Amino acid sequence: GGLAFSEFEELHQRLQIWRTIPWKTSLLEAQSIAAREGKPIFIWAMDGHPLGCV
Amino acid sequence: MIDRASTFSDPGIVALLREKFVPVAIDQAYQRRQQDAEGDFYRKIANQGPRPADGGTTQGRYLAEADGTLLGFNNHRDSERLLRLMREALARPRPQGVAAVEAGTKDARYSPVPPADGLVVRVHSLVLGGYPETEDPVVKIFQEGMGRDNLWIRGDEHEALARGELPDSLVVRIARFHLVDNTRGEPPMWAAAEIRERSVALSEGRLSGRLHLATADGTREFRAELLGFVESEGGRVKRFDLVAKGAFRGESPLTRHAPPGEFPLGISFRLAEGGDPADTLPPQGSRGWVDGYLRDR
Repeated sequence: GGLAFSEFEELHQRLQIWRTIPWKTSLLEAQSIAAREGKPIFIWAMDGHPLGCV
Repeated sequence: MIDRASTFSDPGIVALLREKFVPVAIDQAYQRRQQDAEGDFYRKIANQGPRPADGGTTQGRYLAEADGTLLGFNNHRDSERLLRLMREALARPRPQGVAAVEAGTKDARYSPVPPADGLVVRVHSLVLGGYPETEDPVVKIFQEGMGRDNLWIRGDEHEALARGELPDSLVVRIARFHLVDNTRGEPPMWAAAEIRERSVALSEGRLSGRLHLATADGTREFRAELLGFVESEGGRVKRFDLVAKGAFRGESPLTRHAPPGEFPLGISFRLAEGGDPADTLPPQGSRGWVDGYLRDR
């Protein structure tokens, strides 16, 4: 009662931004880098799950 | 999700984020509540903006110095407005001699980490058809959007998988928290009682079967067929590939505008290599309830 192998392969390859923009997930990690490199911080503060938004 | 395909696909914004800023993506529902250095630093910034941290959501885009000085706030999808704000911030002189904030003890309530000796699996979902045709670019973004999440597997479940066994707790967690349509927003998870059929088995590395989920009032339903492959070596799982596909029906307040009636939904699971910062993020279904997400059922 499972999925056909051909569908498994097709969907897995089809379904499987974080590389384009190197988002950090910890504000303090971002602060530490910003302090060291003399850059400002860009915070995308969501009301929800970052994986769903980013 | 729409920001992914619009604002944060703008080449000018992407270039500045990559080269001139340190970008960080957070669920502010955690940071504005947590009682530790991370929370203190976030509230320091947010409280300079239009949405104080003690008054509900503080969502938006904040540009800030490393010392916590707010440079600008924006919560609009207009790329030009955001670009202008970013350029204005960059034109200001940077503060000198800013020290890194000491992390100290983290507020464990808002700092979930994957289970010890467990596994992180990337979960991607896609509606495979059924939408009415549209020329509206915003509607198209929602129709073609991919849902993303992480599945957490406990240490004892990892051991069982490596022995060739499929823990029932893992099947239930996959069913309740990951066989959802999260392609247009944050969906409701399934209650344990909404698992109507659960016939899934792991035999000689092949995971297959079916799951049927439905609400009591019949407004949401998913009949999924599964096929997957699990491989282990030296007591550790090296491969966890799984696909669920079937007919989904229904929507929820935060996932409106689903295709009418039944529509095909595909969900793919793959073991995370750990090199992506997204791999550290907790599952959506664990938000504020990690113990409930990880428990047996």
